[in-house]
Amino acid sequence: MLEGLWQLLFRRRRHGQDSGKTQTGPAKEQISSKLQVNYERIKAAFGNSPDLVLRYLEAGDQGKISALVVHIDGLCDKRLVSETVVEHITDINHKWDSPEQAYVDLRDRLLSVSGVSEVNSLGEFITHVASGDCGVLVDGITRGLACDTRAWEHRGVEEPTTESTIRGTKEGFVESLRTNTSLLRRRIRDPRLWIEELKIGRISKTSVAIVYISGVAEDKIVQEVRNRLRKIDVDSIQESGHLEEFIEDAPFSPFPTILRTERPDKVTGALLEGRVALLTDGTPFALIVPATFTMFITTPEDYYERYFIGSAIRLLRIASFFISLTLPSLYVAITTFHQEMLPTPLILSIAAQREGIPFPAVVEAVIMELIFEVLREAGVRLPRLVGPAVSIIGGLVLGEAAMRAGLASPAMVMVVAFTGIASFATPVFSLAIGVRLLRFLLIALAGSLGLFGVVAGMFALLIHQITLRSFGVPYLEPLAPVVFSDLKDALLRAPWWALNTRPKFVGEKEPTRQAPGLRPKPPSREEKEVHHLEGKEGGK
Amino acid sequence: MNKIEGGKIPARQLTAMLALSRIAPFTILFPMITGMEVPQDAWIASLLGMLLSIPFALFVARLGLRFPDKTIIEYSERLLGRYLGKLVGLVLIWYLISVAATTTRAVGDAYTIAIMPETPILVFMVVMVFLAANAARCGLEVVGRLGEHSIWIVLFFLILMFILPFDEMRFKNLAPVLARGFRPVVEPMGTAFSFFSMHIIVLGMILPYLNKPKDAARYSVYAILISGLLMTWLAAVLVAVFGPTVSGLVMPAFSLSRLISIANFLERIEAITMGAWTLSAGINLALFLWASAVGLAQLFGVSRYQPFVYPLGALVVAFGILFYESNVDMQIFFEFRNIGVFSMAVTLGTTAVLYLAALMRGKPSPRMRR
Repeated sequence: MLEGLWQLLFRRRRHGQDSGKTQTGPAKEQISSKLQVNYERIKAAFGNSPDLVLRYLEAGDQGKISALVVHIDGLCDKRLVSETVVEHITDINHKWDSPEQAYVDLRDRLLSVSGVSEVNSLGEFITHVASGDCGVLVDGITRGLACDTRAWEHRGVEEPTTESTIRGTKEGFVESLRTNTSLLRRRIRDPRLWIEELKIGRISKTSVAIVYISGVAEDKIVQEVRNRLRKIDVDSIQESGHLEEFIEDAPFSPFPTILRTERPDKVTGALLEGRVALLTDGTPFALIVPATFTMFITTPEDYYERYFIGSAIRLLRIASFFISLTLPSLYVAITTFHQEMLPTPLILSIAAQREGIPFPAVVEAVIMELIFEVLREAGVRLPRLVGPAVSIIGGLVLGEAAMRAGLASPAMVMVVAFTGIASFATPVFSLAIGVRLLRFLLIALAGSLGLFGVVAGMFALLIHQITLRSFGVPYLEPLAPVVFSDLKDALLRAPWWALNTRPKFVGEKEPTRQAPGLRPKPPSREEKEVHHLEGKEGGK
Repeated sequence: MNKIEGGKIPARQLTAMLALSRIAPFTILFPMITGMEVPQDAWIASLLGMLLSIPFALFVARLGLRFPDKTIIEYSERLLGRYLGKLVGLVLIWYLISVAATTTRAVGDAYTIAIMPETPILVFMVVMVFLAANAARCGLEVVGRLGEHSIWIVLFFLILMFILPFDEMRFKNLAPVLARGFRPVVEPMGTAFSFFSMHIIVLGMILPYLNKPKDAARYSVYAILISGLLMTWLAAVLVAVFGPTVSGLVMPAFSLSRLISIANFLERIEAITMGAWTLSAGINLALFLWASAVGLAQLFGVSRYQPFVYPLGALVVAFGILFYESNVDMQIFFEFRNIGVFSMAVTLGTTAVLYLAALMRGKPSPRMRR
């Protein structure tokens, strides 16, 4: 229904669909046999940019053969370029008679970088250069060489800032795709960890890697991911959130259907369940598909702490999810319509607090929630140094002053503050944002229809969540439809030795993940005796 | 055969949906169903009504299994011929809509009487039917999952509600058992049975969409057991708490939840009761709207049922308002001579006619014969 409306309102005229796809410039051109021509073309393609380094070299002993070395300053390791490329080309000990001989010799023997690839068109050559390779052209040869000398400044692996845990790895993803894949490889040392890379973005040509464990991940899901990625035809991909909007299942839903994370252990955990991860170059956030609702309320720490604690904390987190969603609306509904539901002393004290307040509870709630949202947004955007000042002004002064000025009752301030704290307990930010919006909807419903409004709103959300799917997997998977074998790791977490099977919808290809009967047992009596005797003998 | 509804559901979800859709009307309308005359024996009437409806469910399932890929609307046309078959189909759809209208009205009444007396009843009815219609438009799979998901919540809170007022219960109130003999129990039993049969008839619509149609009988009996035992327990608890005066209360189940008070902290949990009612009534409505819309589409040979859902929803609301002038009116309707006769005539009548026709037409399809 919404989609129809959307199309009606924002339908665009369709231009010729491929108008943007035909690239101009040197894309399809062959590499010319004249070095001078290539030089000019490359230079023109980059528009004389100062970071482009082009150098003519005379190759071999006689200096008859000339070569061209191209790279971009700042994207490659200069020492590597000079030691492995330039030195070998200019070495006068080589006896080369023809350009062909020189070219083959360079390609197969001399260029001592590990990755050398041959390119046939000038466009491809330029793309390689633009992504940090060092290109080599030899006069008279219509092919080129691209040497992998990529190296650039990037942030080192640090602790993930948005998902911190007490126990567990302190490594987080960084902006460099290669580093990120290495973080995954270091955790799963098996050739079955497959990585497919493709470039998305007409202009940005961002690398996106599809990562999965072959033989564990469902082929259908991997194929679906590939198909959705291939359909994307945009000028650039800036961040994985940008990618997410093109491949998600429910573009009009407030609930995210793709999980994003900064933590490699979360990604490997998902890969081992049979899910697929997407890494995007230039952002530390990986995407995990298919994502179900329970994944958004779990943290890696649930699996590292002992299972009692892990389960208890998870329950607490679910409770705080519901608190952050419904508490203000319940407060509004009860104080406006259903006063009889509170114990008498409490309702008397609330009524006394609300005595001087000029607004109905709905307005009060909306105002306070808005103030809170503004504070939160300001806290994120401000320079770090000013941060504490905001929390003092916002938390202490505004709250206190609002009460004194008679704009809000202390009970309401407490409700709003508690809601805010509870929403910080939602471990995945993208879910927490959606809930922030839904909260206002529920407040409005509570203000107009009381508890019935809240119940109806929650019912509508439930219906909506049940209709959602993420890459073919129902969003509320172990809860609706109920999958009994998956309930072991949904609201509670069973101990590790009981987590024998992978989730049903994603891990059916290789359902068992460990040997059965791993529960540790105290040694039996006979074993104890044996140990005892051994100990005695050892003592002699 | 073009598929109007593409989904298939496991039989487990059938249990959840059927059980849930009885819970709301039962708990709201309790004294009107079985307890008006002799409240002490209400639980016996509920229990017997439940036991009686088990054979009926088996009968409907057996009838359906003769045509495991057809709904009751489709095979009635096949058995009775074009015109008579369509007529029976129309009667069934009319029946489904009026049951849905009654449920809507009952829940709406519950809200206006107990919680928000100043809000017009139309608001509650429209909102609920709208939500249910949206669920129904998404297909049987969604309704089934909704049921499967919610039944845990609803059962948990209802059982909690029926256990927590333990310090108020005086089971002596249940004596004397059958003081006035069996006669006054018969009619309430009939009412209880007709209440069950209302929902069993939906089985005729769901059966072809089950993963394994053979499970239909077993799982619908589970549903009857869940809701019937719950209702029996409720009848006993209500009399134990309120004594024979319970028949004078408008919504005793609601009053029961008001009584709960644990440690002066866990009290006044009637909001939770209302939530449970809304959930179960919503799923009931979604199921009935789905069934009647699919039925209509099949009756008229339309390839999609979705366009029928909203208009049917509007009808449900309108009927809910028009059928009953007041709560008392509804109370009168729930006497055996009204609802019992109406409901039994439709459910027993149509299924009996269809079964006879099936017998006369000869052997069942060879696939299902073992």
